[in-house]
Amino acid sequence: MHARFSDRLQREFQQRRAKNRRYSLRAFAAALGTDHSTLSQVLRNRRRVSVIRIRAWAKRLQIDPEETAAYVIAEQLIDDQALRRDTELRHWSAEAAAVLAGRTHWEIVRWSRTPEFRPDCRWIAERTGATTDEVNVALARLLRLGLLEIRGKDAWCACPAENEKEFRRLALARVRQRKSDAQSRTAIPNHL
Amino acid sequence: MPNPVLQFQIISKDPDQAAAFYSSLFGWKINSQNPLGYRRIETGSAEGIQGGIWPAPPQAPTFAQLFIGVDDVREAVASAEKLGAKLLIPPTVLPEGDEMAVLHDPQGMPFAVWKRQ
Repeated sequence: MHARFSDRLQREFQQRRAKNRRYSLRAFAAALGTDHSTLSQVLRNRRRVSVIRIRAWAKRLQIDPEETAAYVIAEQLIDDQALRRDTELRHWSAEAAAVLAGRTHWEIVRWSRTPEFRPDCRWIAERTGATTDEVNVALARLLRLGLLEIRGKDAWCACPAENEKEFRRLALARVRQRKSDAQSRTAIPNHL
Repeated sequence: MPNPVLQFQIISKDPDQAAAFYSSLFGWKINSQNPLGYRRIETGSAEGIQGGIWPAPPQAPTFAQLFIGVDDVREAVASAEKLGAKLLIPPTVLPEGDEMAVLHDPQGMPFAVWKRQ
């Protein structure tokens, strides 16, 4: 378990109150250069403190730079969840960009509906002019976005889009949904 | 049935380079004569598991992934989701009849559940 800056603030506040029983949260907030409402939320772990604020407040409290650095690192470790969320959001943005950038995705969908279709990525590559790797990357993306399902050896079930424009619109809607899911799953407290 | 690790998979930004590297280093044979054009790795040993190489999308890092054998892919997905996993690729039947799904474990590590034909 890493030392948290909010715990350090709590200790500092208690020490000041031990010396002066009339020492208030407002006075402590003023000493830090913030408002008492914000500080109250931090002390109750309802709000997180940014690295910039940690450095600024630690300086005001004359906390040793080494100790401050430890709190900064701890805060960055706590930020892991936010980092994962950002990575996931970037991933879905890249998925959207990839669908918009080329025709391979739509071509897979289109060919999968033709009578001569063969569930063979090498065959699809020949028809679409893409490499087998490009087809496989696009195929995995279609599966991730739920734009294609493969329910059996020869049962490729593509999304109901009737043309490329509609397909792209549907793909972007799926990306938006995935991003929304990612954001709601990893909601984090306000970051000061 | 127990759930053994059946296969490893290298997700690579440059599958040809990865194939060349590992086959040169370890003498592994790479065979992509299958409907997915999937680069199957044959290590040449009965010990351990065999593997494969799959192309990574541009935004993904190169990494290795485990394929874990299950009796029922859909049931395995449901159990994993109850334990906090997130489904990435829903149950999918591969051209040769194997069925698989890819998930992220609660720490974000991707893995696959796989039922051989």
